Order: sequence, then C-alpha cells, then structure tokens
Amino acid sequence: PAAASLVRGGRGRAFVAAPRARAVKEPETASASSNASSAPATSSSESTSSPPLAWRAAIDFKKIRDNAEATQTNANNRAASVDVSAVVAAYEAYQTLKGTVDELRERRNVNAKSMKGKMDKEKRDALIEEGKALKDELAGLEQELGALETTMQIEGQKIPNDTHPDVPIGGEEVAALRREVGAKRDFSFAVANHVDVGERLGMFDFETGGKVCGSRFVYLTGAGAMLELALINWAMQKVVAKGFKPMVVPDLVRQSTMEKCGFQPRAENTQVYSIQDSELCLAGTAEILLGGVYMDEALEEKQLPIKMAAFSHCFRTEAGAAGAATRGMYRLHQFSKVEMFVVSTPEQSDAIHDELIAIEEEMYDELGFHFKVLDMSSEDLGAPAYRKFDIEAWMPALERYGEISSASNCTDYQARRLNIKYRPNPVDGKKQPLTHCHTLNATACAVPRMIITILENFQEEDGSVRVPEPLQPFMGGLKVLTPEDVAAKK
Amino acid sequence: SLAADAFGTMATMATLFAGGRIFTRRSSMGARATFRGFNDAKRAQLERARPVRGRAGSRKHLFATAAVKEPETSTAETPTLSWRAAIDFKKLKDDPAAAQTNADNRAAQCDVAKVCELYDAFQSLNRECDEIREKRNLNAKSMKGKLEPETRAALIAEGKELKEKLAAIEGTLGALEFQLQSEGQKVPNDTHPETPLGGEELAVLRKEVGKKRDFSFEAASHVDVGERLGMFDFETGGKVCGSRFVYLTGAGAMLELALINWAMAKVVSKGFRPMVVPDLVRQNTMEKCGFQPRAENTQVYNIENSDLCLAGTAEILLGGVYMDEVLAQNELPLKMAAFSHCFRTEAGAAGAATRGLYRLHQFSKVEMFVVSTPEQSDAIHDELIAIEEEMYSELGFHFKVLDMASEDLGAPAYRKFDIEAWMPALGRYGEISSASNCTDYQARRLNIKYRPDPVDGKKQPLQHCHTLNATACAVPRMIITILENFQNEDGSVTVPEPLRAFMGGVETLTPEIVRQNADASE
Repeated sequence: PAAASLVRGGRGRAFVAAPRARAVKEPETASASSNASSAPATSSSESTSSPPLAWRAAIDFKKIRDNAEATQTNANNRAASVDVSAVVAAYEAYQTLKGTVDELRERRNVNAKSMKGKMDKEKRDALIEEGKALKDELAGLEQELGALETTMQIEGQKIPNDTHPDVPIGGEEVAALRREVGAKRDFSFAVANHVDVGERLGMFDFETGGKVCGSRFVYLTGAGAMLELALINWAMQKVVAKGFKPMVVPDLVRQSTMEKCGFQPRAENTQVYSIQDSELCLAGTAEILLGGVYMDEALEEKQLPIKMAAFSHCFRTEAGAAGAATRGMYRLHQFSKVEMFVVSTPEQSDAIHDELIAIEEEMYDELGFHFKVLDMSSEDLGAPAYRKFDIEAWMPALERYGEISSASNCTDYQARRLNIKYRPNPVDGKKQPLTHCHTLNATACAVPRMIITILENFQEEDGSVRVPEPLQPFMGGLKVLTPEDVAAKK
Repeated sequence: SLAADAFGTMATMATLFAGGRIFTRRSSMGARATFRGFNDAKRAQLERARPVRGRAGSRKHLFATAAVKEPETSTAETPTLSWRAAIDFKKLKDDPAAAQTNADNRAAQCDVAKVCELYDAFQSLNRECDEIREKRNLNAKSMKGKLEPETRAALIAEGKELKEKLAAIEGTLGALEFQLQSEGQKVPNDTHPETPLGGEELAVLRKEVGKKRDFSFEAASHVDVGERLGMFDFETGGKVCGSRFVYLTGAGAMLELALINWAMAKVVSKGFRPMVVPDLVRQNTMEKCGFQPRAENTQVYNIENSDLCLAGTAEILLGGVYMDEVLAQNELPLKMAAFSHCFRTEAGAAGAATRGLYRLHQFSKVEMFVVSTPEQSDAIHDELIAIEEEMYSELGFHFKVLDMASEDLGAPAYRKFDIEAWMPALGRYGEISSASNCTDYQARRLNIKYRPDPVDGKKQPLQHCHTLNATACAVPRMIITILENFQNEDGSVTVPEPLRAFMGGVETLTPEIVRQNADASE
C-alpha cells in the first residue's frame, strides 16, 4: 500500500537483489570461466552476450538444486519474483558444460605438451592445427559458460534468504506480536500532531525545506536541531556502553557494495539516489557502509562477534510513496540514524538477534515510549532477512503505530555477497575450511521517527513538550520545551 | 572509558539555553512568524509586482525575481533562465573600467564592456517592447464598442501585426537577457579597499595566536597518530567508497561528535540559531550562492535524474533560508549556524596528498551564516572572525589569521579572512576556517531584501541585504590539528580541555585506552 514503511514494504519492493551486469573494471572477471586460472583474451572481446559481472554472490547452487521446490515455496511465501527452476536449469547446464570444457582444456594441455621437442614438420603442423581447433572450440564454449554463469548469478541473486521457522507466512497483517511495552496515554485534551507541536516550538521549518530542496526535506531549527543532536549523542553513548564500536561513516558508497547488501540502486522506482558520472550512490542506511567493512575479508572465529554502530545521514528517494503524507517527519528524503551492525558465526546469530532487539526495547522503554515488537511476516522481510523484528511506537496524533526501528538477522545472505568469511576454530587440531559469516543489523535511533514519537506523546495542553529523562543531560539539563508565548506569560 | 556519561557538566550545556533562546522561537523569528501568517510567497509577490504600464523600466522588477522557467515565448534555440541575479547594471555602466580592473585583480574571467553593451541593447529593445505593448493596448481598447466593419477589420489587422512583432521582439529580448545574465553573473563582487591585490603570497597577516610547539621528539603525522589510536580506517574507506573517503572509528568517531557538539554549543552561546540542514540542495540555489554545479571540473556531485546536488557547504542551505523573502530592519542581523555533511569532488586536486584527512570527498562541518543590513556587515565580519579566533585559542591551537588576497576571494566575497593552523607533521599552516563578507553579491542572487526603517516617517524602498558566512568547525582539519599538535611521545594524544566534557571526561587518548575498549567490546 501507499504507506510503505521505513524499511518494511520499501525493502520488499525495491531491495530484491538483481545484479546489474555491467562493464567490469577488474581484469580477472573478464574471464568467462569461474575458475580463475585460464583467461583467454579472446573471450571478452568476442562476447556478444551480456557484459561480464562486476561481482558474484557465493550462492549455494547445489543446495538450491537439491531443494528446488522448497526454495520456490520459500520465495513465493516471501513474494519474491524468481523462477527457481530457471536457476536450477542454468546451474545444471553449467555443470555439464563445465565438464566438457574441463575435458577440452585437458586435451589442449596434452596437445601443447606433445609439441615439445623435435618432430617432423608434417606432424607439427597437424598438432598445431589440432591445437588451433581446440582453442577455437574452447573459446566458444567458455563464452557459453560465461553466459550461463551470468544467468545463474542474475537469476540466482533474486532468490531471497531462507526464512526462520517461526516467521508467520503471509502479509503484514499476520505479523506476530512478540512484546508490548507501556500503554497508550490517556489525553485530557485534543492531541496535536508533531508538525503543529514542533512548529509552535520553532523546531522545524518545512517551508524552507521545500523551497530550497523540495518536498520531504526539512530544516531542523532551534530545539529541533538540539533534539536531533541529543538523540544521536544518547544513542551513540548507549550502543558504545553495549560494546559496539562507534563509527562515523561516509554517506556515499559504491553501487556494487550496495548491491551486495541486497539493495537495487538501478531498479525502476529505486530507493537510491545515484551520482551522475560516478559509481557512487547515496546510502539509504549505514548498514551498507558497515557491511562493507569486512567485505572480502577472512576473520578468525575468536574475533566474532564484531559489533559496530555508525552514525550517518540516510537518503531515500521514496519513489512509490508519492501520495503518502507529504507533510511532516514521517517520510523524508534525508534523515539521521544510528545503526548497529554485527558480524557473527552462524551459531551466534539467533542469540545476537535477540540481543539487538533487547537493546532497542531497553532504549525505547527508557524514553517512556509505548510500543509493540513485531515478528515480521514473510512478505515483509525483504530479500536479505532470515527474520526481522520491527518496533512500532504509538503515535497518538497520527493515530497509528509507526515503525521506529527494525532488527534483521540476514544469516549468510549478505556475507555470501560481501564475501565475508571466517575460519572456525580447529577441530581435533585440524584446520577448518573458511565459512561464511552471518550478518545482522538493527536501528538504534532513526531521528525523525523518534522526534515524532516524543512530540506526540509527551506534549502538554499548553503546547510544551516534556523532554524524556535520559535525553535531558544531552539537552543541557532542559526538562521541558516551552513555546515562546507560554514562557513569556510565565 | 569512552562510554562514560557523555556530556559532562550541565553547566556547559546550560549555556546553550541562555535566555531561553533555543527552545523557543527567537523573538526575531516571532516577528517573522506574524509575517508567515500572511503567506510569505504571496507577500513577496505583492512586494515585487508593479504595474507594467506607464513606468519606465518597470519590467525590471519582474526580472529581479527568482523566476521559474519562462513560458513558451522563448524560441527553441534560446536556453531559458531559471533565475536572475539582480545585478546593478547601471553601476557597472557608471565605471566599467573600475569594474574590469576589479575583475582582473580577482583573476575573474569576465568582460565588463560586453556586459554594458548587452545591457544597452537590452534596455533599448525593452523600451521598444514596451512601446509596442502600449500600442497593442490602445488597439485592444479601440475595438470596444460599435465600429464600422471596415474600421474593425483594419484594427484587427493592426492588432495581429503588433502581436507578431511583439512575439518576435520578446524572443530576441529573451535571448538577450539570457546573455546579459550569463555575462553579468561572471562579474565578481567588489573588493574591500584593504584587501591586498594579487596572489596568495600577498595575503596580509592580521593576527597570530600562540606559537609553534617545541617538540622533544619527532612529530608523527596525524595519520600515524590516529591509526595507532584506532581512530580512522582509510583502507575501508577506499575499499567501500574510493579514495578520499574515511571511516572514523572508536575515539575518532567520538572526537568528531565532540567537535560538532562543542562547536554547536559555542555558536549558540554567541547568539546563532542552531540548525540541522539537508545535505541535498537544488542546483539553482547553489548557483545563486556563487557556486557552479555544472561547470567542467566542478566541485559538485550532481544527482542523476534530478535537479538536486550535494552541497559542499551548509552556507548554501543557509543562504536559501531567506531566499525570496523580505525582512524588516529590526529583524537584522539574523544569525544561523548549521551542522551538515559537506561533499566535494575535489576535481583538480588529483595528485595532492591523497592520504590523510586533509582533503576528503565528505566531511562534517558547523557553519555560521548571517543576513545583515549593509551597514552592519563590516562589524559582523569582525565578529565572526573573533568567534573563530576565540574557539581555536581555547583549544590551544597556534594559528595565523590572514586577510586573503584578491585572487583568492572567489566570486562572492568582498573580503575574506582565513585561519591557518600550524600542522607540525605536515610542516605547514593549513586552512581550518574561512570567514567571508559577501556584501550583497549573494543577496542579489538569492533575492534577499529588507525594508529599512522609515526616514522622517517616510517608508523606505526595499534594499538587498548583506550576507556573511564563516566556518565554526571543519571536523577533519580540526582533527589533524589536534592530533599533530597534542601528540605525546608515547603515541597518546592530550584532549584539548574544552572538548573533554564532550568526550565523557577523557583527558588523554592512549593506545591502552583504545585496547581496553576493544577488549571490552570483545
């Protein structure tokens, strides 16, 4: 529906991974073959099919092939448009062809070896011809192999992550309530919406935002600016106390990194602002920048879990949300956020998911919010999440519960794309093979949604707003925001 | 540990709210609030609109607006103006030689004589246009009431002819105006009489604060100091984003936040209204501030399929606040300070020091911006530089305050003071802030006006405001200065006293503290 959420519907819509097969910078990937050894120069120049892949997801095709039906059912449950049988077909064709190609290569090696040493000219010419024919055949087949691999990647990447057995199957209405904290406040007066409350307090300026930047942009002013800083500072301090390494990350990121996290910068109706004449895009969440930290790295088991938290500015086009509430802070093109991100072993991720949601619950409880913790249903997970918990806070004037945070366990979905691996501890002294990590992400504080919740819930009849107690030290000890006319009277 | 109560003394923060100026609308804003009730856009429009007929040069008022795209009167070949600068062409004509000399002094590529020529042509064609319009009006009027069919037909024919003539002239007028604006906008601002004329080597030292520290050991570069303390990760920045991007981590992240918080607290205590502004802005607004998003080798990242760009400084977002508005004299000066992320392509800086914090594609900054009357701007420029000097003195920096030379002013600045702090490992003074008085250059483009107080009870005509901008805190340059100057031989760094409250009371960043924190999180 039009009111797609911050992360929920938006992710389901635009974040199904579909790689952009485009011209490649790294020389190695120009080779059509998945084994990086031989890379005949001819293959790329003669390629008539789609341009080579910029990167590959380490998809477990064998597992998909062996569980094709379950994989398709899972995809259907998650409303992901993908044809698993096409992936399987491409994989099986690839395997067969690879066998042939390997055989050909072996014959070419033999041919090459046999040309060493002295021999009659006739014999040599025959061998050279054989070699040439083999080379040509090989080139053709390798091209085919490359095309198959591209298909496998493009289609395979559309396959969403597995789903936790407890996740309710279906649409958003079947999300399960995990926990409810607090209760709706009983207002003795007509509750004003956050825009009116905030404007009366001189906290924001939507008019200037619209004039200078366009709709869904806002200037935070006076107490609004200080409240944003207070929220960021409080959230950063909170996550640091919980053992997360604080970071300030860039807001620009390479398109490929974004794709590896499961986002689609170039899709129609994309959520992503791209930079002209550049491979850079504006990140919609620091999750992407944090996912990139351990990209292409091999970690030790004892390093895990690695917990990071970043403050960044997030940018979203909100394409497809065009009619929905254009006024107010609910859906903006730019907003500030503190995000948690964890790299873990597969065994750790369930417990860490619980830990992340517990942190969020603690934070919002401390502020005095009334909220629900939902176990999101299969259609609302987006592609990367195995399981997702959303927190929706009661927003009395909007008369709805509005999403203020989201915590996802992406298991190895992102790690297979970002190529994040670890070496498990030796077993019986034996070195273990590298395994993909699990990744998780969770919102600590999405500033505008927090501001809405505070203004709407803690407003008083005279237009003043009580500052939640944990934020008071970050607001210079201020306990109440008071409108000028009210303060003057007092 | 860095996780301690992050904000220290309430007293420090309480100064933020001195006089209750933060949590309510400022009284000056209150006055403006009444204006708002009237509908700003409508009011501004009424201020601008003047009857066209019977007043020479009256069309100029319409041209002074930040107009949107012209309607279809323009020919296919003529690019359309999406906005106009209210350039004082008459003043240029009064002394074109002086204007050209000024432009040459400032190494600006412009041709004042050509601008004057275009202006004359425009004026003359404009007059012709007005005349034809008047004739057309008369013609239209004369067709009212009963007429002989012959007379009517003649009038209709005349009317048609006039209409065609008008369309043609209007087309040419549009093209002329486009050229006039293009050429006219290249003319830089006037120059303060005390500004040294010439290149950067001629900048005048206004003030020097502190002195170079005597190191008993070899000063390590900020990169080495910071990496040892786990403060930044250039490798990840390069991997995920590209060169000139950095991740601030651990103490580096906390130091950035501390600097932003400290700077915001500071400027608020000096009477600046704090703001958090968008980082994206319309191209037009950027141009009006004197930046060139679409130039070759532009400093600006443009967004695909959009008229938005990433702002290189919050100056642009702040300049836009009072764009197309009319203020009352008693509202001025209006002082604002914003925290934002700044983005620069740094095209043209390609070989220069790629490693380190000195030149990045993205950085955080707290920026001051003032809208004032012409009479106030000199004093406010002094005030801005004094604030910067106070801030950097407090931190214990050794720095020079320079009155920048004419070739270094850029187009908008009438006068510019830069502060360069001593960076011992880099072995140079590096710019950490800049304070410019743009007089009415930006205001003429952003269309920011005010009504001076009545004189002898007589209402005064609208005037353009003056605008000024000054860096409160450009985070990476501050970090360089702190790390290089306050490093100790053991690799630790002494946190400048004013920042400690914003760093949870931490006085020294030590490799041990870093290790402890790393252990704690494992």
